[in-house]
Amino acid sequence: MTYVIETRGVRKIYNPGKTSEVIALDNINLKIKSGDMVAIMGASGSGKTTLLDVIGCLLKPSSGKVFIDGVETEKLDEDGLAEVRGKKIGFVFQQYNLVHSFTAMENVAFAIRLLGKPKDEAEKKAKNLLELVGLGKRIDHRPSELSGGEQQRVAIARALANNPKIILGDELTGNLDMKTSKIILQLIKELNRKHGYTVIVVTHDPKVGNVCNKIIKIQDGKIIGGEK
Amino acid sequence: MIDLAFRNITRQRSRTFLTILGIVIGIAAIVALGSIAAGIDDTVQKSLELVAGRIIVVESDENTEGLGALLLGMNSELTDEHVNSISIVAGVKDTVPMVMHFKSFEGFFSSSEQIVGMEPDKTEYFKGEKIGIYEGRDMEEGDSGVALIGKTIAEVYNLEPGDYYEVGDTDFEIIGIIEKTGSTDIDMGVIVPIEDLQEALDIDTYQMIYVIPDDITATELVAEDIEDEVDDVATITGTEITRQASEMVGAISFFTIGIGAVAAFVGGLGVMNTMIMAVIERRREIGVMKAIGATNNKVLIQFLTESAMISMIGGGVGCALGVFASLGITTVAMGMITTVATWPLLFFAFIFALSLGIVGGIYPAWKAAKLDPVDALRYE
Ligand SMILES: Nc1ncnc2c1ncn2[C@@H]1O[C@H](COP(=O)(O)OP(=O)(O)O)[C@@H](O)[C@H]1O
Ligand SMILES: [Mg+2]
Repeated sequence: MTYVIETRGVRKIYNPGKTSEVIALDNINLKIKSGDMVAIMGASGSGKTTLLDVIGCLLKPSSGKVFIDGVETEKLDEDGLAEVRGKKIGFVFQQYNLVHSFTAMENVAFAIRLLGKPKDEAEKKAKNLLELVGLGKRIDHRPSELSGGEQQRVAIARALANNPKIILGDELTGNLDMKTSKIILQLIKELNRKHGYTVIVVTHDPKVGNVCNKIIKIQDGKIIGGEK
Repeated sequence: MIDLAFRNITRQRSRTFLTILGIVIGIAAIVALGSIAAGIDDTVQKSLELVAGRIIVVESDENTEGLGALLLGMNSELTDEHVNSISIVAGVKDTVPMVMHFKSFEGFFSSSEQIVGMEPDKTEYFKGEKIGIYEGRDMEEGDSGVALIGKTIAEVYNLEPGDYYEVGDTDFEIIGIIEKTGSTDIDMGVIVPIEDLQEALDIDTYQMIYVIPDDITATELVAEDIEDEVDDVATITGTEITRQASEMVGAISFFTIGIGAVAAFVGGLGVMNTMIMAVIERRREIGVMKAIGATNNKVLIQFLTESAMISMIGGGVGCALGVFASLGITTVAMGMITTVATWPLLFFAFIFALSLGIVGGIYPAWKAAKLDPVDALRYE
C-alpha cells in the first residue's frame, strides 16, 4: 500500500565534517497513512523540528529518501518542492508567524493568492476557512487584536488555504495556556476526523500525544519507539 | 499583486515616504533642469534661424575662430571702407553694418538687453523677414531717434508705442513692438537707427557687418572670398555658428540632466536601502511564504514589484513636480528664461525612475528569494 508520508533511512547532518557537526536525524523510517494523526515526541534538541522540516520539504535530508503522496522529493527541483509545500502540506508554527499589518482574512487570503488565485476567490475562501476554525466573527481583526489561541486558529486556517492533504504542526500549542491548548488540539483533531487531514504534530508535551492515534518517540535523532 | 505590493510598502509609512521623496527630488531635478536646457536649446535654435544663410564679418584676430571670434569681435572697429570692400566681392547681395550695445539690468535674474544699431530700412535682416510688427510700425528709411523693441521688453517695462526708451543719455521714441519670436536676441532686443546709436555711444565704427549672399547655398564660398579679398576681417557663417552652438547646448543639457541623474541615483540607493531593510524585517514572513508554497521567483517578483512601485510613485510625482517647477521658473523669470518640459523628457525621467527601482530592488529581492526558509523561520 502507499503511504501519504514515507521516509526511508533519512539522515540529516548539520555542518558535516566540521567540529560543530550534529547528526540531527539518524536512519529515520516512517510510514504514515492517510488520515493518521501522529505525534512526534521527544526532548528539546532531539531532532523533532528537523524531522518535520524534512517531511515538509523545507529541508533536504543528507541521505535517505522522502516520499510525499507517492512522490520522491529527491527528484524534485526547488520549484517542484515549493509546489509540494503549497499543494500537499500546510504548516502551523509555534510562533504563529502572521503578517502583523494584515487582517485575519488577509493573512489567509495571502496564502491562497500566493498560488495564483484571484483576490475575490481568495477572500471568499479565506472567510470560509476562518469560519471553519471558529473565527467567523474576527475576520477583520489584526493579529494584535487577537488572543494567542485566535492567532493560532488564523495560522491553522492559513495552513488549510490550498487544500493540503497533510498538516504539520511544530509545537503548535507551545505558546498557549492549557485551556487554549486543549481547544486548539480539539480543532486539529476535528480537522483530522471530520475532514480527513493527515496530521503530524511535533511536541514535548504528553497531553498533545493523548489526542493522537499514533506516537513516535525520538531521541538524539533516532526513533526509539512508537505507541498505539 | 499590485494591491499587495501597495499594502506592503505602506507598512512603514514614513520610511516609504522618505524613500519616495528621494526619488521625487531627483526626478523633479531632471525634469526641471532638463526643461531649462530644452528651453535654452529652443531659444538658441530660434536665434540660429535668424543667422541661417548669413555671413557675419568682424575684425580678424588670428587666435579666434567661430563663436569665440564673434564674442571677441564685439570690440571690432570696422569702417565704411570695410563695408565698401565687402560689397564688391562677387556673390554679395547686401551688407548690413551693425553696432551692438548691451544694457544690463538687475531683476529677479540679472540679464541684459541687446541694443542693435542698424540702417532703418534693413531691420528684417536682423529680426527675420517672417517676423512682423505686433503693435505700431516698422522702421523706415530716414527714421531717426526711434526704436523698435522686443515683446518681452515691452511686457517687462510695460511699454507701448509713443513711450521712450533710454540708451546712454539719449531717449528713443518707441514706434513699434516686434512680434514674439522665442529668440531672446529679439524678444529682449531693441533696434535703433545706427547713426543715432553711434552718436549715443560716441563711436564712428561698426562692430560687425552682416553679409547677405546672393545664393544661400554659396554662403561658405562667399565667406572665404571675403576673407581672401578684404584685409583684416574674419567671417563666421550661420552654419558654423549653428554647429558650435548646438555643441554648447548639447553640453549644457548633458550637465544639467546629469546633475538630476546623480540626484535620482542617490534616490535609487535609498530604494535599495529601504528594500534591504524590508527584507531583513520580513525574514520570517519570507520563510512562511516559502513554507506555504511560494517559489523563489514568486518571492523575487513580490519584492521587485514593491521597489518598482516605490520608484514609479516617486517618478510620477517627480515628473509632476518638475513640470510645476519649470512652469514656475518661466513665470518668475517673466519669460526671460523659457522652459520646455517635453514628453520625451518626462518619459525618460519616468523610465529612469523605474529602472532605479528595479536595479535598486534586484539585489534585496534576490536576497529574499535565496533566503533559506528553515533559517528564516528559526530566526528570532
Ligand atoms: N541549522 C542548524 N545548524 C546546526 N545545528 C542545528 C541546526 N538546526 C538544529 N540543529 C541542531 O540539531 C539538533 C536537533 O534540533 P531540532 O530539530 O531543532 O530539535 P527539536 O526541535 O527536537 O528541539 C539540535 O542539537 C540542534 O542544536
Ligand atoms: Mg523544535
